[in-house]
Amino acid sequence: MNGAQHILDAFHRHNVSTVFGYPGGCIMPLYDALVDDVGVEHVLCRHEQACALAADGYARASGKLGVCIATSGPGATNLITGVANAHRDSIPLLVITGQVPSGLIGTDAFQETDVLGMTLGIVKHSYLIDDADALPAVMEEAMELAQSGRPGPVWVDIPKDLLLTDVSDAPYFHSEPQKTSFPDLADALTMLRAARKPILYSGGGISLAHAEDRFRTFAESAALPSVVTLKGIGNPGKHNPYNLGMLGMHGSRAANKAVDECDLLLVIGARLDDRATGKLDGFAPNAKMIHIDADAAEINKLRATELAIRGDLNSILEALTNALQDKPLDIGGWQKQCRTWYTTGGFHAADNEEPLAPITGPAFVRQLSRIALDDTVIACDVGQHQMWVAQHYDFDHPRHHLTSGGLGTMGYGLPAAIGAQFADRKSTVINVTGDGSFMMNAQELATIRRYNLPVKLIVMDNQCLGMVRQQQELFYGNRESQINLDDNPDFVAMARAFDIPALHINRTDQIRRGIETILAYNGPMLLHVAISREDNVWPIVKPGASNREMIDETRRTNKKEHVA
Amino acid sequence: MKPQSQPSTPSYNINCRMSQEAAALERLCQVIRIRGFRIATMAVESAGEHLDITLTLEGTRPIAMLQSQLEKLHTVAEVALGQVSGVRVQTA
Repeated sequence: MNGAQHILDAFHRHNVSTVFGYPGGCIMPLYDALVDDVGVEHVLCRHEQACALAADGYARASGKLGVCIATSGPGATNLITGVANAHRDSIPLLVITGQVPSGLIGTDAFQETDVLGMTLGIVKHSYLIDDADALPAVMEEAMELAQSGRPGPVWVDIPKDLLLTDVSDAPYFHSEPQKTSFPDLADALTMLRAARKPILYSGGGISLAHAEDRFRTFAESAALPSVVTLKGIGNPGKHNPYNLGMLGMHGSRAANKAVDECDLLLVIGARLDDRATGKLDGFAPNAKMIHIDADAAEINKLRATELAIRGDLNSILEALTNALQDKPLDIGGWQKQCRTWYTTGGFHAADNEEPLAPITGPAFVRQLSRIALDDTVIACDVGQHQMWVAQHYDFDHPRHHLTSGGLGTMGYGLPAAIGAQFADRKSTVINVTGDGSFMMNAQELATIRRYNLPVKLIVMDNQCLGMVRQQQELFYGNRESQINLDDNPDFVAMARAFDIPALHINRTDQIRRGIETILAYNGPMLLHVAISREDNVWPIVKPGASNREMIDETRRTNKKEHVA
Repeated sequence: MKPQSQPSTPSYNINCRMSQEAAALERLCQVIRIRGFRIATMAVESAGEHLDITLTLEGTRPIAMLQSQLEKLHTVAEVALGQVSGVRVQTA
């Protein structure tokens, strides 16, 4: 068995059934081995960046390891954005690249790049194989490492000659899971019981730990008023009456108000990102904090915590649930106050009653949320539409919301939707995108067509880079700079060129029919939604300001303000 | 030009043991740089399968934050923080 065959063997042993890749010179031995393989489905994307992002979407939607493959040089460099995306959001990814033959490394050979060197900052770990016999152990370790603890991308760079070298049957590396003692929760319970105004603050760590069910049980039984980060959307489910929605820069007024007023933050699986906290000095100024996370490096990183707990989230949440069951928290007044704030300051986009009125982003997303079934997967891109989805789509599960949180990668949504559709061929997957983001990976329409994936595409087209335009309007004295996209192609014709049917709508009374049409269609379909160029995402916190200083539409100003 | 006093920059001694691997030192230095520290001195000794690295670092951020980030590296076996070696005043 040569090195290439050994890689496929590792995939089989770890039940990797789908990989996303693009062939080229130095990875050709692996592609040659794939010809005879029947256990792994290789998905050919049309750009390596899309391979990495599709593997990311596959991992998020399925909870399994995502795998992407590319050749050396430009293949590897094209992967980088997608791998960085996975790194920032702690997504388990295995990245395999071919490298120039061992003897040519360091000679500026054709398609040689120092992949190991240039990717150090965007991987959980990485390997450059220098001995074919090391490959089995490295593959085992890499796959385990990508998925353990705080997950992340692990990159294995393999010179072409070693892919062709026979590998001896070396024993595999099997690491025993580290046994950690169960943390003492007594102090946490004391703090929870002492708090008069506690807030449950959860993030992407819940689904990364596969703790969605335990979290929901805990959140419901403890009846703690709850806020979520962008990646934590869906954690509390649709029906939790104490969920105040997303906090932060584009969070709900209710969520930011409750955090501002609370006296205890119970942070679970979140890292206090600046988009969530706003200016740290003004964040939850009266609160003590309990921080539960898998990553020790996140504890005290940005804010000192009174109590840190590390351990298995499922066990911790179960223990907390049980401990609070006998004697519920006495926070009735606080619950009522938070509900009042939610009534007046939650996300409640009104439907436009005027049938001929232009479509607004929030009203469209509200309709989509009402029409789509609960298990629909929404893969967003980055920009205004992403925030409208975060604000106005009612998610019942965090794995139904695929969004580029940490890196903010325009072009994420379409390949991520492809990955999610491969994770479950029967699920309904919708890529909600903007005209700017869509063009960043539009070549993947060919992938959708090739595999006949029933992915639905919703392009919210305001003919500009709306989020940048919005910040230029609000914080740069309305001096628009390089945001105009009014020469966009005809997206309907473009989809049809890929043999994907498409519809165009631009009036409020067309929303329902448009959504129902694409959802009912048995195959991929694109809905082009024309929206106003002037629509903004409200509320907004100026970058660097405190969440207390939210700006909403009534305070819209053209005053010249400049952000650092 | 009269030298200007810079804000005092704390200095730290760190001993780090990590596996011998391709890019071991680059990996270490990358984390030190991105987390806000400057390497003032660095000595490396090969010890079998390990590298023992002794560093003097300067930076204004909490050193515990860097320590936990270094400990997170898969190939780092141990990070020992020496005593703060005093405050160094830089002048231009």
